[in-house]
Formats: sequence, C-alpha cells, structure tokens
Amino acid sequence: MPSALSIVLLTLKISAAAMLIVIPLGMVVAWTLVRKRVHGRFWIEVLISLPLALTPVVIGFALLSVLGRNSTMGRFTHEIFGWDIAFTWVAAALASAVVAFPLSVRAFMVAFAGVDTRAELAARTLGAGPWRVFFTITLPMAYPGLLAGALLGFARALSEFGATIVVAGNIPGETQTLSLAIFNRISTGDDAAAMPLIVVTVVLAAISIAIHNHLLTRAVRLEANRSQREARG
Amino acid sequence: MSQPPILSFHFKRATRGFDLDVSAECGSGITALFGPSGSGKSTTLNCVAGMLRPDQGEIALNGRTLFSSTGKVDLPPEKRRVGYVFQDGALFPHMTALDNIRYGFERTPESARRISPDEAIALLRLGPLLERRPAQLSGGEKQRVALARALAASPELLLLDEPMASLDSALRGVVTVYLRRIKRDLGIPMLYVSHSITEVLALADRALLIKDGRITAFDRPSRLLLETAAGFFHEAGAADNLLDGVVSSIDGRGSGRVRVGGAEFVAPVGARQPGDAVVLSIGAAEIILATNRPEGLSARNVLPARLAELDIKDGHAFARAEIGVSPSDTQLIVELTEGAVSDLGLSPGQDIYLVFKSSSVAVLDAEER
Repeated sequence: MPSALSIVLLTLKISAAAMLIVIPLGMVVAWTLVRKRVHGRFWIEVLISLPLALTPVVIGFALLSVLGRNSTMGRFTHEIFGWDIAFTWVAAALASAVVAFPLSVRAFMVAFAGVDTRAELAARTLGAGPWRVFFTITLPMAYPGLLAGALLGFARALSEFGATIVVAGNIPGETQTLSLAIFNRISTGDDAAAMPLIVVTVVLAAISIAIHNHLLTRAVRLEANRSQREARG
Repeated sequence: MSQPPILSFHFKRATRGFDLDVSAECGSGITALFGPSGSGKSTTLNCVAGMLRPDQGEIALNGRTLFSSTGKVDLPPEKRRVGYVFQDGALFPHMTALDNIRYGFERTPESARRISPDEAIALLRLGPLLERRPAQLSGGEKQRVALARALAASPELLLLDEPMASLDSALRGVVTVYLRRIKRDLGIPMLYVSHSITEVLALADRALLIKDGRITAFDRPSRLLLETAAGFFHEAGAADNLLDGVVSSIDGRGSGRVRVGGAEFVAPVGARQPGDAVVLSIGAAEIILATNRPEGLSARNVLPARLAELDIKDGHAFARAEIGVSPSDTQLIVELTEGAVSDLGLSPGQDIYLVFKSSSVAVLDAEER
C-alpha cells in the first residue's frame, strides 16, 4: 500500500495537471464569451456548465468512450504510440479537468467582465496591440478573480471521485487519489487508516477555499470601488 | 478652411434605430464636437480612434488614410497615432501614475517621439503625484494623468470625450487651464466632445454641432449659441465665460482685483493672495451691456469694450465683446434680448461698456489645492 504522502503527492500532481488544461483553455473560452460576439452563446454556456449538474459517473463514462481502447482515439493512441490513456493518471487528470472546468470558467468570466473596457481601449490608442493589452492590462486587472477561479477549480479537482473511478480506475500508485484511497479504506472497514487521509483532505480543501474567498473579497472590493467611481461619474 | 485640414472624415454608420452620417474637417487648435447626448458624439470619436468601424466612408489624418471602405483600409487603434482621453480618465489601476504615463511612450517608435514623459509631467505639474496609484488620486488629478499619458505617446491628434463631465466646477477651471496650456505649448490638434456650451466657449477655436447623427461646422464657437438658443442649449443651462487671470490686489475683506489680459475685474477672491492664478466664471446672462459709461452704480465692474459681433435669432441675442487693449486678448459673450438690441441701436464695431456685479463672478483655482 502506498504511503499517505505518496497519495497526497499523486493527488496534487493529478490536480495540477488538470489545472494546466483548465486555466489556459478556460481563460480563452471565458474571455471570448465576455468580450466577443459569439453565435449560440446561450447553448455554449449551457454546455460549459453541464458538468456541474451531471453526475460525474456519466462524465467518466463519456470520457471512457472517447479514450478507452475500444474507441477510435483509444485505438489510435494504442496502435501509434503503444500508449493507453484510460486507466492512467492522465485519464484521472482529464476527468478532474472536465469536472473543474465549469467552476473555473464561470469565475474567469466574472473576472474578465469586471475589467473596464475603456482601460483596454486606452491602451490600444497608446500603441499596444491586442495581445499586449491582454497581458499588460486585462490580465493584471482581472488577476484576483482569475486566481480565485483557478483555486476553486483546483479544490474541485482535488476532491474528484466519480468520473475518475470510471475512466481511471482505482489503481494504487497510479490513479488512486486521496478520495479514492479513502473510499478503499472505508469500504474495507479500515477507518483508522482512512483517518489521516481524511484529515489531509479537509486541510487541503480548507486552505484552497480560504485563499479563494480571500481573493474574491479583494476582487469584489476592487469592483465596488469601480462602480462607486462610475456612479459618481 | 484656409490651412489644409489635419483630420478629415466622412462616414456612415447605421445601428438599430440610429444612423450616423457625418463629415467634417479639423485644423489645428481645438475643435469642439458639441451636441446633446445620444446625438452620435462618442460614436464619431470612436470611429476616428478605430474602436468602432464605420459602414462606409473615409478618415484621413495628416494625409494618412486611417480608414477607407473603398480602399479596404482600416488601421487598428494602435497604428493610428490618435490619443484618447476618456471621461473619468480610464487610468490603469494596477500601475502608478508614472507607469501610466510611460505606457504609451514606451510603445511609440523612437522616430515618432516628440513629447517625453518628463515634458508631459512638467506641463501638467504631476511631479509630486508620480508614485501614486489611480485610487489615490482626485478626479482632477486623474484627468491630468490621463492627459499626460496620452501626450507622452506623441499623438498626431488628441480626442477628448467629455473630459470634464465628472468634475465639479472648481476642477473644471483647473483642467481648462491645462488644456489651454497643451494647445499653446504643444500645438497638438484636439477634437473635444462636450455637451457644455461653457467649455466650448472657453476652449474651442471652431465648433462642430452634431444633432441626430449629422454635423454642421461653425468657424466661431459663439455661433453655437444661436443654433442652440431655440433648441437643446437651454436645457443644458446657461453659458458661462471662463477667463484666465491672476489676482493683482486684495482688500482684505474677501474681495480683490484680478488681472485678465489687459483688463482688471473686481471679484470675490476669498483668501487667495496676489499672484495666485485663477479662472473667472461669469454667466453670459449676468452681464449688462451699456452704450454710455454708467454713473452711480453699485456694480463694481464697468469695463470699456468693443462690440465685435452680434447674433440675433428668435428673440435671443448674443453679443461677442472684446475687452482690453487692441488687438484684444479677451472676449466675453453677453446674452441679451432682441428688444434690447433694437432699443439701444447696437451694431458691430461700436464702443460699449460691460457692467456686472463682483458677486456675479465666480473665482476658481487654476491650480488644484
């Protein structure tokens, strides 16, 4: 049986990998939805938020039918690279990413919507192209909200269970994250072994949410200052 | 227009229920774009800056095509070299005042740099504020930083979208002084959106009246008074004359004399000291016009003047009076009725006297305190 430390490290690795997908992709999606005219925006937003309402088991099943050895993509990666995604830590990361995505994207959208478009336009007239404006103006102005969204997603990825067990299994040392290890120990009646893992899980979750809430109050305060200025103006 | 235009544009842009069809030319100095809200002022400005795209037409700046629907040219804002100052400054909140000012300068090609951040900072007296963040600046200070930020990018044209709309009257006096300073020292042409006739009279060399998406050009901003007398102008409130001056003497009881060009005004200067720079605000309707020097009046200001121009329409009349030595450096707009004009037998070129109480003069600080 892997040590508690190695389980924690594996969980952090899988969650971090999930966020490497969620953060860039989520920011592109959120920015596009907030700043651009998008056809079918309503249904795109429904699709993005769908994992919030779906049972993760169904998400895991959907991922399995895309990545499993019987699927087109699964066969492709198996035959070309000799590599299976399903039932590896990569599949666990993908499962966490899908589940965390809506939470992060919704927070990113709020963060981007709070950025004064006139500051962005002023930067354009000062000679900065769209990319430079994004990195020097939009990103720093939205940063507390963006970081809060990333942490919320990370917290969700840490606690992921249902989708992971379907598409990645419960393989000690490979895909067995904290929640899966706790499940294992409780179901075999070994509550004593589960307890340290439960404590670690609670501490990690509490830290993530505490930082998230702290950032969010900061973002809300910035936003309040801005609306106050606008009300005066 | 005698000189070739610096900015010329004609374009159309239709949106739901509103179609903009404007054409105008702007030379050096300050051109006011004046009109009621919803008339298309900001849309016009945004098209010139490249933030909105006209449906068809052309925009050219110093012979350079910024937009042409036939030539398929549409330069992005960052390539137009057009500065933009928003109503409340729209400063970058995560940067200090200095970093705000340097932002555009750093992105200006060296060959195009004509104004350095230091010059812009000196012109707008921002030295003590450079390390502050926008949240620590007052409304007038933000607007000065926004002006310096736009100037340090050495724009060929400065667009100002109601830069004083969110300031109180005292700060308007301050910003007015700085805008005049920019015009005098840097010679950057400005297109100035406003719905305040007072600002237009105080600042503009020419005026464009925009109404229902169409533009009419006026060589003299005071002509607007007539156009608007019948319509929306009276909704916006009466016109004020804004004059730059320096306190020359005080009587110790809150009153004092203020030198404006070649003339001197008696005004309630309060606790200000001789040498303090001020802006005087005098309502056009507060001034009485006399053909002979009046005697035995309680009004403290009786100024000899020359009636330069007289415009009459629909019972309203506006007189443009030049005061001080000739060639006159100061002019005042006086509002009167058509009846008074005919009773007095007024005609342009005539010598007149302007009479007003010192309490009709509001004294504003020319520097922020």
